[in-house]
Amino acid sequence: MKNSDVQIEGIIFNIQRYTIHDGPGIRTEVFFKGCPLHCKWCSNPEGIKGEIEVGVYSNRCIGVEKCGCCLAVCPQAKTGVLIVEDHKVAKIEREKCSNCGKCAEACPANALITWGKRMFVHDVMKIILADREFYRKSGGGVTLSGGEVFLQWKFARKLLLECKKYYLNTCLESSLYCNSNLLEQLFPYVDLVITDIKHMDSSLHKEFTGIGNELILRNIKRTAELNMPLIIRIPVVPEHNNSVKNIRNTAEFIMTELHNRVKQVQLLPYRQLGTEKYKSLGMDYPMETFRQVERSVWEENIRTLVEVMKSYGVPAVAGTTSKLK
Amino acid sequence: MAYTEQSDSYLGPCGIEPYDREWGVGVSAMVEDPSPFPRINRILKRYGQTMNGALDAERACLLTEAYQKHAGKPQPIICAEALASILRNVTIQIYPDELIVGEMSCPAKAAPVFPEFSFGWIAEELKNHTIDKCDVRTHDWFTVSAETERRLLELETFWRGKTIEEQALSRLSEEELKGSNLGKGVYLLNAYLYGGTGHCGARYTLLFEQGFMGLKKRIEKKLSVLRPDLLADIKKKVFYQSQLIVLDAAVEFIKRYARLAREMAAQERDETRKKELWQIAENCEWVSENPPRTFWEAIQLYHIATNIILIESNGHSISYGRFDQIFYPYYLHDINNGIASKEFIQELIENFFIKIYELNKVRDKDTIEIFANGGVGGPALTVGGVDKDGQDATNDLSFMVLDAHAHVRVPCPWLAVRLHSNTPWEFKVKVTNLIRLATGEPKVFNDEVTIPCMLAYGRTLEDARDYQVVGCVEPDAWGREYGWHDAAYFSIAKVLELSINDGRCLGCGPDCTRWKVCGGVGRRLGPQTGSLAEFKSFDEVLEAYDKQMRYWAERLISSLNIIDLVHQELKPLPYLSLLIEDCIEKGVDVTAGGARYNFSGPQAVGVGTVADGLAVIKQLVFDEKKVSGAELLKAVENNWEGYDALYALVNSDKVYHYGNDEDYADELAKFGLETYYKHVERRQNAHGGVFAPGVYSVAINVGFGLMQWASVDGRKAFEPISDCLGAVHTAAGSHDTKGPTAIAKSVTKLDHARAGNGTLLNWKFAPNCLTGETGRDNLIHLIDTYFSRKGMHSQFTIVSRETLLDAQAHPEKYKGLMVRVAGYSAYFVELSRALQNDIIGRTELSFD
Repeated sequence: MKNSDVQIEGIIFNIQRYTIHDGPGIRTEVFFKGCPLHCKWCSNPEGIKGEIEVGVYSNRCIGVEKCGCCLAVCPQAKTGVLIVEDHKVAKIEREKCSNCGKCAEACPANALITWGKRMFVHDVMKIILADREFYRKSGGGVTLSGGEVFLQWKFARKLLLECKKYYLNTCLESSLYCNSNLLEQLFPYVDLVITDIKHMDSSLHKEFTGIGNELILRNIKRTAELNMPLIIRIPVVPEHNNSVKNIRNTAEFIMTELHNRVKQVQLLPYRQLGTEKYKSLGMDYPMETFRQVERSVWEENIRTLVEVMKSYGVPAVAGTTSKLK
Repeated sequence: MAYTEQSDSYLGPCGIEPYDREWGVGVSAMVEDPSPFPRINRILKRYGQTMNGALDAERACLLTEAYQKHAGKPQPIICAEALASILRNVTIQIYPDELIVGEMSCPAKAAPVFPEFSFGWIAEELKNHTIDKCDVRTHDWFTVSAETERRLLELETFWRGKTIEEQALSRLSEEELKGSNLGKGVYLLNAYLYGGTGHCGARYTLLFEQGFMGLKKRIEKKLSVLRPDLLADIKKKVFYQSQLIVLDAAVEFIKRYARLAREMAAQERDETRKKELWQIAENCEWVSENPPRTFWEAIQLYHIATNIILIESNGHSISYGRFDQIFYPYYLHDINNGIASKEFIQELIENFFIKIYELNKVRDKDTIEIFANGGVGGPALTVGGVDKDGQDATNDLSFMVLDAHAHVRVPCPWLAVRLHSNTPWEFKVKVTNLIRLATGEPKVFNDEVTIPCMLAYGRTLEDARDYQVVGCVEPDAWGREYGWHDAAYFSIAKVLELSINDGRCLGCGPDCTRWKVCGGVGRRLGPQTGSLAEFKSFDEVLEAYDKQMRYWAERLISSLNIIDLVHQELKPLPYLSLLIEDCIEKGVDVTAGGARYNFSGPQAVGVGTVADGLAVIKQLVFDEKKVSGAELLKAVENNWEGYDALYALVNSDKVYHYGNDEDYADELAKFGLETYYKHVERRQNAHGGVFAPGVYSVAINVGFGLMQWASVDGRKAFEPISDCLGAVHTAAGSHDTKGPTAIAKSVTKLDHARAGNGTLLNWKFAPNCLTGETGRDNLIHLIDTYFSRKGMHSQFTIVSRETLLDAQAHPEKYKGLMVRVAGYSAYFVELSRALQNDIIGRTELSFD
């Protein structure tokens, strides 16, 4: 795999082995860093920015007197970029930080960590191939996710091509917010597409994600027209998109525009995840004030919405654990 | 009787019977009336979810009287007469609703006493009143009546100096003792020093074919052709005589139940129960002498014949062979001839499971800290696997056994399922559904590794394919093997400690009980093999480890052989020798090598601890030179105090750790374990066989941890060492971070087929990982892949960390919560705090 063709670098913020909810079987999921959307409920804020970032978990810090490894290696230490509070590294002054990652490399306690890593295709492949026996037994494979895969489509294309050399099942999880011409750059090497419909009302879509939904819906339609096996997900976020009206509109879109050419429509519960990660990046959690409803309430809500969808003939299910028919 | 014809009748697909219920995921035992049979639910209610019972003096008193009465006779005769006297005189009872009768001691859950093995601790605990519920015994307690206490304490003088414990201890030298549980705990000899060996199963098919009378005729024939002029035959004569004594008493024991059932039937007003009692009487009368004819008769004989093994010796893990294979002919016969319905047979199996749960044993207060809630201990029962020709042998009963566990949800028997490359999918679904129920049952074994492993140790192909699982982990040619499977536990983590500190314990100081004979007078525990402060290369570390291992393995082996000889002399087992082939044929007691196959199986503990310890040394001291050997040693000596950064580093993913599918550390695990294999495997044992190493810890990794100072892998003093084949979990965190596929790969880089005494990998999942069809199927595929990579054996705990923490805080809410400890399942709230914490600390292998 040393040929120059695969020597493109990607920025990857996580490679999770043994995921089972994003595509069939046991899978390895590769998370691409960088995303054009800023969903209020995003639980992977470390995937938003397209470059490497340093995160701070102050509670893990041993104390700068006892350790101090980070201050010793930081090229900008003198500028006070690493802010110490109560003897522990508490935050980073982001404007002064070059994200060189030396502090995280030196930190023995993982109080400082780098989000994102530059990787060649063969670096990623080495990890992917480690579990191929599991893919074969379970009908699993590889899922590319993010962030947004299309922001690094050239790298993704090389990676998918490489996967196909090993006959691996591939799955693409994407917002599909991309230039429509790019779809066909990846689709020949993809076995299953997973995408979201976050809201049918474009202005609300913009309010919740930072962009309107027109391009996304157009690309979903194009994906269906290309006969790509497709799963549509609806993250059901109370007070945002869980109205029966929105679900009806979504179902109508799926029936009339997509002609129901979808494998499954999955309605997923919203969970307040990732708050620690926001904090580590010095970001505010956009849903900080949102009050999580009780399990019984959201379970009932999702079940109702699934029934609404089904009444249109849409293959809707709750959660990700139902087998594809 | 032989049943060769296949059933013509269509019995319906297994596992989706009308009485089946959706079991759900992780609901544990917390439902009312889990069985579809009202009778079973009534019995379950009566016994409650506890292992507590009464202490019973009858066995001990009858045994002691017999020893006194027959003093001067050959030891096998004394032992036989003692068992005979117990069987003829011990109180027996039959309980309401039950269809199968017989037990070790009564009332149900009472524990008999076995003074011939070890009596000192019982006398001491009786005097200190620590057998009953008290501060030092908060679980596994037994009520002791004043009368029981008096009768037992009267026996103390007689047994002083005569027990196996005392006889063995007097023969173990300082060289052997210093490494033992009585010294610094390099190895623990507890099991067979204080108790019987057990760990085997009867050849039930032999008993079923010949009946007790058939066996008697064989022995009489053997006896009749002995030649008084042959030395060997003089011994054999005593052996056969001892067998006849116990055989007659066993027959009488079963007939006593027949008489009791008849008496009770005569008194019984309820017509249905009256009929049942009559049938129980007839069953017992018939099988006391003859081969069973129906499923009900067969399971009655199976149960009571096993009970007598348990009364004869207190060795635990008396295992039940391959239930589905043994009973299938009776099942087919009854169904085809309209003798019993499938439902009734299901009910019998469930009743039988609860009968095992009624049995109980008392253990000393220290043992229960690490072997909590053990009950009778190790009653394994095996289903599934291949037949003698290597074809799939799964049948209806394989499914019904799994259903029975789901219906009774008691921690007996310990279910073992054998899987192979052609196990039917629907059986895997049934197995996985039971795993997801989260009682911790069953364990799953891989025929594709176990059979070659058994072959390599000299069993025939047919016997290898017919293996059962004994106790926690151990593959065994049932009824033909005396495997001494639980011979000892051996801490390779302690060996590593001595290897890097010139043969001295880390944490050596005046607090140690051995200070005055060891460190205090300038001695050291092991040989001088150099210090980490001085080693010039990593190879020198490995060399020191090899030398220490050899030294300690030799002491382990000599200790076990000495104990083995004492068992042979003092406690021959004439009854067990009836049921283990080829004792009758050879005319040799099972303890002395009468079985067809003989092994001694001591287990290595601490593979992860050794791997990560070696990885830290290799990476930080020699490869990256981040810390000197002297400084690392000093940090450990100081229990990491003042070395916060180093402590964090060795516990972080910046250092290679075993369990993450990284060859760097995995290769060191391999070295650490294979060095143990090398110095133990195939050494001669004292009952005509060889040593076969195993790799598992049950919960003894906690006990070893309590005896060991901090270690170089980032463990602080007295924390548990790593369990079974698992990765390291320290207070600073789990060392495996890459999920289940990575663990499966790391663990299967080790050679399981060399572990003749078995291996184990414990998995722990949160319930939400296993929901839905996809959750179920992915668990099946995980097991399949682990097995296709030559993993031998897996067990599962499925419960969330939050649940366990809540159970610690509110034990009253979780009385029925069962968890897999390792080898067996127990009620979580009845475990010691240290063991609870160890279980909580296992990584939850999240799927998402």
